[in-house]
Amino acid sequence: MTTELTATPSPVTAPPVVGAAPPTPRARRRWSGGTIVLWLILTVLIIAPVGCFILLATSPRLFNQGSQYFTLAYIEQTLRGSTLRGILNSLWVSSVVAVLAVSIATTLAWLVQRTNVWGRRVWPFLMWVLLLVPTWMMTLGWGDLLQPYGAASAAGINTHFLYGEFFGPTGIIIVLTTAAVPFAYFIVAAGLQGLGSEFEDAARIHGAGRLAVLRTVLPIVAPALLSALAISFAETMSDFGVAFTLGYHSNFPMATYALFNAISNYPANFSVAAVIAIVLIASTIPPIMLQSRVTRRRSYAVLSGRTRIARRHELRPWARVGATMGIGLVFFVGLGGPLLGSVLGSFVKNLGIYSSGVHLTTAYYTQVLHPSIADKSLGSPLVLSNQLGVVVATATGVLGFFLARRLVSNVGGWGQRVTDVFLLGSVAVPGVVLGVGYIFFYNLGLIAHDLINLYKTLPLLMLALVANSLPGQTRFMAGPVAQLQPSLGDAARVHGATRWRAWRTTSLPLVSRVLLWGWLLTFTKTIAELAIVQILYPPSQEPASVSIQSYLGNYELGTGTAMTVITMVEMLLVIGLALALYRALAPRGWRRIGWTGVES
Amino acid sequence: MKAERRAAGVTFAGVRKAFGDKVALDDVSLTIEPGSFVVLLGPSGSGKTTLLRCLAGIERPTRGEIAIDERVVVGPSTFVAPEKRGLAMVFQDYALWPHLTVARNVAFPLQSSARTKQERAARVEDLLERVGIAHLSERFPNQLSGGEQQRVALARALAADVGLILFDEPLSNLDADRREQLRLEIATLTRAAGATALYITHDQSEALALADRVGVLNQGRLVQFGTPEDVYRRPASAFVARFTGVAGEFPVRVVRACGPDTVEVTLPFAPEAHFEALALEPAALGDDRHLFVRAAGVELNNEVARASVRGQIRDVAFNGRGYEHAISVGDDVVISKVFAHSRFERGAEVAVSFDPSSCFVMESEQEGKCQ
Repeated sequence: MTTELTATPSPVTAPPVVGAAPPTPRARRRWSGGTIVLWLILTVLIIAPVGCFILLATSPRLFNQGSQYFTLAYIEQTLRGSTLRGILNSLWVSSVVAVLAVSIATTLAWLVQRTNVWGRRVWPFLMWVLLLVPTWMMTLGWGDLLQPYGAASAAGINTHFLYGEFFGPTGIIIVLTTAAVPFAYFIVAAGLQGLGSEFEDAARIHGAGRLAVLRTVLPIVAPALLSALAISFAETMSDFGVAFTLGYHSNFPMATYALFNAISNYPANFSVAAVIAIVLIASTIPPIMLQSRVTRRRSYAVLSGRTRIARRHELRPWARVGATMGIGLVFFVGLGGPLLGSVLGSFVKNLGIYSSGVHLTTAYYTQVLHPSIADKSLGSPLVLSNQLGVVVATATGVLGFFLARRLVSNVGGWGQRVTDVFLLGSVAVPGVVLGVGYIFFYNLGLIAHDLINLYKTLPLLMLALVANSLPGQTRFMAGPVAQLQPSLGDAARVHGATRWRAWRTTSLPLVSRVLLWGWLLTFTKTIAELAIVQILYPPSQEPASVSIQSYLGNYELGTGTAMTVITMVEMLLVIGLALALYRALAPRGWRRIGWTGVES
Repeated sequence: MKAERRAAGVTFAGVRKAFGDKVALDDVSLTIEPGSFVVLLGPSGSGKTTLLRCLAGIERPTRGEIAIDERVVVGPSTFVAPEKRGLAMVFQDYALWPHLTVARNVAFPLQSSARTKQERAARVEDLLERVGIAHLSERFPNQLSGGEQQRVALARALAADVGLILFDEPLSNLDADRREQLRLEIATLTRAAGATALYITHDQSEALALADRVGVLNQGRLVQFGTPEDVYRRPASAFVARFTGVAGEFPVRVVRACGPDTVEVTLPFAPEAHFEALALEPAALGDDRHLFVRAAGVELNNEVARASVRGQIRDVAFNGRGYEHAISVGDDVVISKVFAHSRFERGAEVAVSFDPSSCFVMESEQEGKCQ
């Protein structure tokens, strides 16, 4: 599953711009010229693998996977037993998580934007970090912290009673909620940002009490809340990290794991996997379509030149302390706890095994860096993951930018509508579905023997990772790209700049921060990606996430945890380095974009 | 200040532009003399912005030919890119690059010129001095007021040192005081630069004040092109008359021909009153026409004469120099913006008389052909 952030979060806010020029003939010509290439790329990346794969649900004979051209037998087979339980579990857990995540995110956004709570600059940044941490890392960290003879026990805290709760629906909901909060937060925060306090003031002046004010103002941000709800639901439904780790170990089946299981068992049952894929996609499309419909009405586009900056509520001292602690608790659950668990756990000797007293050790790190078993160091998997991250993030960034431009440059055209709907639908395709689709499609005789044999190769893994990130990245960029005033480029051309120079000097600076954050988002998500990598990695070329899982699967918890810590630190270092380089090298004007203060 | 570059002439020949089914420009032909200041006037959707964008190269016409200084930039098999047309433009929304300082915004068009760095800096400084914002050179656009931003846009257009400058409703986002001030600066600085100017607006007073020639566009067609005096005194159609400002409009009947283009008319609700007016279209005795009256040609008196009609003051407003009145005449006609140095109170009965040179007799709905 990829990220969908149609509303631009504050760290990457594009310049506030007004008005939109009518579609230019230039844009229309580009459509006709680029359409074939565009759809060819989308076909190779998404349409063909996923399309062929889901056809298997009812027509296995089309691909020599059975004897029937049309059958409903696999649907029947899927909708019973543990597979049905997995689907139902995913549905109710996702619903609960969506509601919880939006409630928490709305409260956080309101506190950060509308009150004098402490740490208002820090929380949005931490929200970005939370967005980048994969769910399996959170699960692992909490597991290390809470398990008997784990990190908390080593610190003298008895957490046995929490461990049982954590390995079950409660733990799953907690981890998935903290993972969904950033998606909801950025959408709701963008909605609140455009909402000046004049709406509240008007209601109060005309006699409304606090409750009536809330009733009046909430519908204005309702579309943002609905968007957040839809995205949180879709993200949770398609999550594989928790299903693969916490769900599996606590005997709580979930749909994505059931799908993975269907092709991992021998013999692989692609048709059942296809039915689960259809259920996953179908369950996420209605809320996302609803979100798109509501967003398109732009009923929360209340930001205008006349919108005054909202007044901050001055919290009383005790309320301020309480609110700050509440926000801190959310980040402790999402980041602090897992980080603490992983870091402490990686230094505890015999993690999870009874021993008298606590013994700290750096042996796990030694083993990671200098393994006794050949080819089991983290070095080469981490290097491979970074290489994958760089290639995938760069390819996705370039493709995503051009797709985003296409998406916003043909207002009202059929091409724009088709691309829009397609990308919206693609966001709802979980990574595990893509992974299985790729295995199936690129192993078809027609492709592997007659065209190109990519099966179990790094290029195929890269393609799948790009396909996984592309829809979300495109929609992530579409907002800021749409905010680029066409007249800025026109002005450059009219004043003598070539097309390339106009783009380089006037458009690139304005989207540079969005491009950087988009790149970092894809880079870190690629390093941490589990579903696609687990399904498609070539033999003997394990990326870091697979290496970590194989250690954990072999009950070498300490080594797996140490690997996780090194991977997380490396990811954070790359983010820090990239941001520092941007700060040091980008011209002053580039860094000011999104800054709206007026000095004069 | 001396002219810095030879002014460019522009020719539009049969230019048509359609967006799908919607025709934005319909067979527009127009010649702009080098060094002239031409204003295109028209309501929203009349095609004036599209015409300007076609000339700039931002839009491509569906048909027709555009030439700058006899060099065809748009033709059946020709389309010259915007950066190769040798022009500059002031955009309605200013289009200042938010990541560049004022000085760097203004320097942008100079970067592809052969000037040295020092020469470019000197030129920028000179231009910023000219538009009065030299002290803001290191600021970013969002640290400026609307008027200051507009001055930056003007300086950038002048920096290009080209023979043709386009203005796309540059004053429409400013308040009344700043509009007046900047209008004067645009007129003087552009003329001093010696460039040809094509300026579009929907404000008739702005158009008449700035232009050497005014073109009036309606529904994608050029309906009149002439001097401001021509357009104001001899509008080609009822549309042009209305768009350039009429105080009132009445149905009348032609009762006598007084000269080659002067007729005498009567009002249906006051047949005893006879008025002289310019007949801008052929009119025969007994024809029913409309009388269009400019505000400047209406006079208020206490005594009723033969060439006057009785009216009642509906509203009066003080404007500093005197009073503007709105008067009801007949059953449902209101004449507005009628100036008088003395105040006539609301509800007062007055005699309204008209200056024949400010009254036109035309068919109400007919649109004139381009002159």
